[in-house]
Amino acid sequence: MGAPFDFTFVLDFFPKLASTLGVTLFIVAGSLLVGMIVGIVIALPRLYRIPVLSTCSKVYVSFFRGTPILIQLFLFYYGLPEILQLVQLDLSKAHVLVFVILTYGLHTGAFMSEIIRASVTAVDRGQVEAAYALGMKGHQAFILIVAPQALGVAVPVFANTVIALLKDTSLAFTIGVMEMTGKAQTLGSITQHFIEAYIALAVIYLCISITLQKLLQLAELRLLKHELPDSRDDRGSRDSGDTEDNTARKTFRIQKKRIYTRTAGSMRTEKGGAKL
Amino acid sequence: MKIDPSFIWLAFVQLLAVIPTTLMITAVSVTAGFVIGLAAAIVRIYNIPLLSQLASAYVTFIRGTPMLTHLLLIYFSLPVLVDAICAQFGWGFKSSSIPMIGFAFISFSITAGAYMSEVIRSGLLAVSRGQLEAAYSVGMTTPQGLRRIVFPQALAASLPNLSNSVIGMLHGSTLAFTVSVVDINAKAQIVAATNWKFFEAYLAAAAIFWGLTFLIEKLTALLEKRINLYNRGGVA
Repeated sequence: MGAPFDFTFVLDFFPKLASTLGVTLFIVAGSLLVGMIVGIVIALPRLYRIPVLSTCSKVYVSFFRGTPILIQLFLFYYGLPEILQLVQLDLSKAHVLVFVILTYGLHTGAFMSEIIRASVTAVDRGQVEAAYALGMKGHQAFILIVAPQALGVAVPVFANTVIALLKDTSLAFTIGVMEMTGKAQTLGSITQHFIEAYIALAVIYLCISITLQKLLQLAELRLLKHELPDSRDDRGSRDSGDTEDNTARKTFRIQKKRIYTRTAGSMRTEKGGAKL
Repeated sequence: MKIDPSFIWLAFVQLLAVIPTTLMITAVSVTAGFVIGLAAAIVRIYNIPLLSQLASAYVTFIRGTPMLTHLLLIYFSLPVLVDAICAQFGWGFKSSSIPMIGFAFISFSITAGAYMSEVIRSGLLAVSRGQLEAAYSVGMTTPQGLRRIVFPQALAASLPNLSNSVIGMLHGSTLAFTVSVVDINAKAQIVAATNWKFFEAYLAAAAIFWGLTFLIEKLTALLEKRINLYNRGGVA
């Protein structure tokens, strides 16, 4: 099958594949944006226990976690124009990327909503009560007190979702988007050097995943800065901080530790699973 | 084009026939992946030089690249490798006699192995060191202690993640259509293309996958109840 293996082709393919890196990253960024908005919208009814709406979001999350993304992609690609035709909206000329980003956005939204829900419930109830005691309103307590703490604990799982999304973008070629995988396939069939093309492709994906992970790790460190001096003992050696500051923070330590362990225990937001 | 609800049912019935293929791909990749994952996890936990670095590299590589690239790499490189080896030793085996589904089995097993190894590793690490020490103190050898004491507890601890991996592989098996294996996804494509009713066919496929995922979760919940029996508190 194909021409004999030639390593120089791998090096040759790198710049060619990298030229479509933009499309892949654009899909990732676009779907993250859509996913974030959808995720918040889906998570809110369940967080505030709004009767009918919370059941709707349960079904939504279950569907998107319970079916393969490839099926969802085809479903939206073929189905959305037909459904929108019923309300006199013509989507048949819309760009393919619109469908890709929409599908991935809705898919990611389901995971986002779970992440948001898990991390918000992980924040101690006492924090909200304390905010109320200080005279804050509901939305103030959420934005000023709960959200910053929830953000920090959500980042590791969020990182997983982003990397999973990056890997899922490789499926977009099935409906004809010329992103990295599609490009690799084209390069392979032009030169008959399939193996080299896919090796180059895998290496590029690997590099992006590792870079994303490192970046998000930095973000996590930054966001959990308020916990750092205390958690030195259980999270390895980190910045020792000011000793006086340490003693001042000691009183809050148990509370904060509990936040952390509770999150790790209750968060089950990986891919897969359709639990209602 | 009009949506034809009756065709959803028609497609659904046709898709039922290929469920075994999808389940087989899932079962084989999960089983083989479990074995690979167990080996990789033990090697990394015992920190065996060279092997543990190899296992880490394997896990990082597989987890950092899409499942599709694994499948395509195996699909294109395995025949070349097999033919080269066979020519070297003068065996009469030809790579063209490997069935298409074989590539899916091999590649998905390798993929599953990396994800499983992480699941198993975290499960094994969740069992406290004292358990193994207690096993030693009653005279068990290391394999005995691992098999009788550590593994059952690790299994209980990692069951939720294992079920997630199984579901992940079930969903991943849809990729098999790229190497022309007729699983649910490929069949949906065929049914859709012959009748020009794509939306209905994929709706049926989605329903089947949703149902299968539900089933796996229910089974896991049952299993979890059974396997966590030892872990309950109280006196009775």
